[in-house]
Amino acid sequence: MIFLGMSAGMMGILLGTTVAAVVFLYWLKPPPQRVIVPSTLLWDRLLKEKKRNPFLDRLRWWISLMLALTIGLAVASGIGRPELSSPGSGIRNITVVIDNSATMATRTSDGFTRWEHAVAHAGRLLKQGSARGNFLILDTSGQAPSREPGSRRSALETLVGLTVSLGGEPEFPDLPPGESELFFVSDGVMVDLVPPEATLISVFELAHNVGITAFEIEALPSEPTRYHAFVQVKNASPVAKRITLRLSGSLEGGIRDTLTLQAGETRARSIDLGSFGRGPVRAVVTADSDAFSPDDYAFGFLPIRTQTRVALITPGSLYLENVLANEPRMSLEVIRPAQYNPEVSADVYIFDRFAPPEAPRGPALLFLPPNVEWLTRTLDVVEVPEVTGWNPDHPVLRFVALEDLRVDRAARIAVPPDLESRSPSLSAEPGRKSVSEIVVGNRSLPLILVTDQTNRIVRVSFALEDSNFPLHPGFPIFLANAMQWLMDEQVALARAPGRIEVPLPMAAVTDLEGTEIVAWPLSDRTVFVADQPGLYTVVGERDSRLRVAVNLTSSRRSSVNDSDLPSGEITTATAVVVAGAEPGPSEELWIFLLLLALLLVVVEWATYHKRLTV
Amino acid sequence: MSEKGTLFDDEFLKKLEYLNLVANHMIPGHLHGEHRAKKKTDSGIEFADYRQYVPGEDTKNVDWRTYLRTDKLILRLFEEEADLPIYIFFDASASMDYGAPAKFDYARKISAALCYVGLLNQDRVSLVGFADGIAQELSARRGKHQVWHAFRFLESVEPGGTTSMEKAFKGFFSSRRRRGLVVVVSDFLDEEGFSKAFDMLRYFRQDLFAVHVHTPEEARPDLPDEVLLEDAELGTSRRVRISPALLAAYAQQFEEHCEEIDAYCRKNGWGYLRTTTDVPFEDLILQVFRQGRFLR
Repeated sequence: MIFLGMSAGMMGILLGTTVAAVVFLYWLKPPPQRVIVPSTLLWDRLLKEKKRNPFLDRLRWWISLMLALTIGLAVASGIGRPELSSPGSGIRNITVVIDNSATMATRTSDGFTRWEHAVAHAGRLLKQGSARGNFLILDTSGQAPSREPGSRRSALETLVGLTVSLGGEPEFPDLPPGESELFFVSDGVMVDLVPPEATLISVFELAHNVGITAFEIEALPSEPTRYHAFVQVKNASPVAKRITLRLSGSLEGGIRDTLTLQAGETRARSIDLGSFGRGPVRAVVTADSDAFSPDDYAFGFLPIRTQTRVALITPGSLYLENVLANEPRMSLEVIRPAQYNPEVSADVYIFDRFAPPEAPRGPALLFLPPNVEWLTRTLDVVEVPEVTGWNPDHPVLRFVALEDLRVDRAARIAVPPDLESRSPSLSAEPGRKSVSEIVVGNRSLPLILVTDQTNRIVRVSFALEDSNFPLHPGFPIFLANAMQWLMDEQVALARAPGRIEVPLPMAAVTDLEGTEIVAWPLSDRTVFVADQPGLYTVVGERDSRLRVAVNLTSSRRSSVNDSDLPSGEITTATAVVVAGAEPGPSEELWIFLLLLALLLVVVEWATYHKRLTV
Repeated sequence: MSEKGTLFDDEFLKKLEYLNLVANHMIPGHLHGEHRAKKKTDSGIEFADYRQYVPGEDTKNVDWRTYLRTDKLILRLFEEEADLPIYIFFDASASMDYGAPAKFDYARKISAALCYVGLLNQDRVSLVGFADGIAQELSARRGKHQVWHAFRFLESVEPGGTTSMEKAFKGFFSSRRRRGLVVVVSDFLDEEGFSKAFDMLRYFRQDLFAVHVHTPEEARPDLPDEVLLEDAELGTSRRVRISPALLAAYAQQFEEHCEEIDAYCRKNGWGYLRTTTDVPFEDLILQVFRQGRFLR
């Protein structure tokens, strides 16, 4: 017998303490209550007639003690959850790998999910054989720690803690060394590299599923303020499906489309979001008998601004004022440096030969700013610097030609710390998000430096008056590009369900309903776990915001029938028979022990009231 | 009224007045003291009966006319009014100082009530507190004005000691006492038993009215599983393991004890009344009146 509730040592201590406590209480005879009666005359007469038998009294005491001990030991043993193995069953080492990839969340014809079937199978596999064997439960998403096989109790506890992982890349886990019977419970969809010695237990059953396999909200290249949604829908069912696709946003209404997809067909749609307001956009597909719901919906965020408020802080710049005033989508406010107030509210700030002591609340474009704490230092002034190169791929310089740019005087600014550690190439390294970037000039003399942080900054290290830049045809384009880039509210970070990192330190995360999600700070990032698709808002310091669209959008995950295992082979637990070993009657005994204790309490109560026991 | 003590307060006295009224109403003009038992003797005024002359008797009441007519010696008898006293014995042993209200207080109230009714009806009433013999005694009194003496006496008696009714009766009736009605108010928890004491009364040709006072818990005690029973009179203790069966047996024993006293009294034509201290004493007195043992 082993105890699932606690270790054998602890169980021994508990049982010993129970026995000691019961015996102590029986030996502990409280002094009888003193009762004064008018006379013991009648009592004496009565007790003389009814003389008690000391042997029977002693016997009653012992019976009562035995009953109390049995009750106490039964309850204490029940707490320890004892488990009996049949004497015939041998000691076996059993390792069960359970597939908890996304497709295991598919519902089967009996109403349960493949995952629930898998857990039932795994649980019954772990209950096979002698309790003295070694047991290990592992999963394909790395939730269960890979460790040495242990007790059945710990394996069952691990099993209870496992869940389906919608994200990540599932794979067959590494097995610890040692002899062990290996079982793999899976639907055979996402994990295909299985060791040959593993006994595969299938929970696969053909299922109907339609899902969104791609969802993006993008600005039209020709018109940056117009957005469209790209939606890709797949019918992973074994039969054709009539699917309803709906897009809804923050405004009333939405878009509804009905399409018929053949089995296995994928179709894409580009939907104009002109009628949508700024805010979350949700795409939903519905079809009858859909067994896999996580891919039925997807989220995005539509950023639209109708007019941009620009605050120009300048001692007087004809070029800037004229160009900005002619821009129809901008509302310009010209402020003299002496009148600048940090409380000025604007979508973009343009500082001309001026910089406030503290960073403004929004993105900023600066022309030859003086030394302030929130900007990198100005080292010296360079006369007639040479324009050595620029990055035409950067959005700020798109369609801007700088071949004949002449600058009479420029400030040499220090290279930002995040650029110092990088290779000296002009453009950012592919695959890595840079914070600062020199878009015109070089490291020894950056002329235009952009910083992509919470509030974006474009810093021009020369004054417009000291160059021919304002006279260039590309200057208005540069200003428009800079404004577009500075105002570029990110659509939303696209992530798969699971552990998500966002580049905002000490941020708070909320879901669409405003419910706060638990998040942990991690260096300059924030980490949170999103198990389900949704749109999450991350708010960092200084009210900097980031949106994360967590979508399952994966053709592979939606293909719930992409398995080599035959359909309809879900075996019941009793049918899982391992060669050479019959399942032992290893039921837990605690319920029987507690019933026994209850029965004995009733017996004790009855015998006490009849004074059969003391 | 200023002389009253705490036991016999205004409320108590009002109840006594009420009891007196009720007693008069129940048997008007037939109270014991006012209509004393008549004795057929050779003295007296009112003719009562004839009886056969026995040689040696005084011949002054021989009816000579009848002798001349019938040639038989017949004596004429006359009625003589007898003054039958009431002896009220109340138990003042330690066992009576038990319960709430205490049996002793209850017994004193009963005694006071009976004494009051007796004195109001011109009976000669003696009050005797007894324990292991006579504890205190108030000699025979008659008349309403003696009520306060009786009450003061009753209030002055303190309970204590063991019980021996036999010693008490023997001590009291050994000196020449007239035949009368003996009222005993007691719990009858006498180590020597009640029968010897009652035999003593029979010997002295006294009439008895026994009032058995006990508390409800004495008849049906509610005791924990294991108790140390301490005798209030003797001070001895006894460890007893209580069971429902034992409690039932005790209750049975108590009933048998009461029935034994009742049977003895009935056998001798005496009155017996059993009461618990939770019964209002005036109700008990009315019950006494209804039994007709105290009132004639």
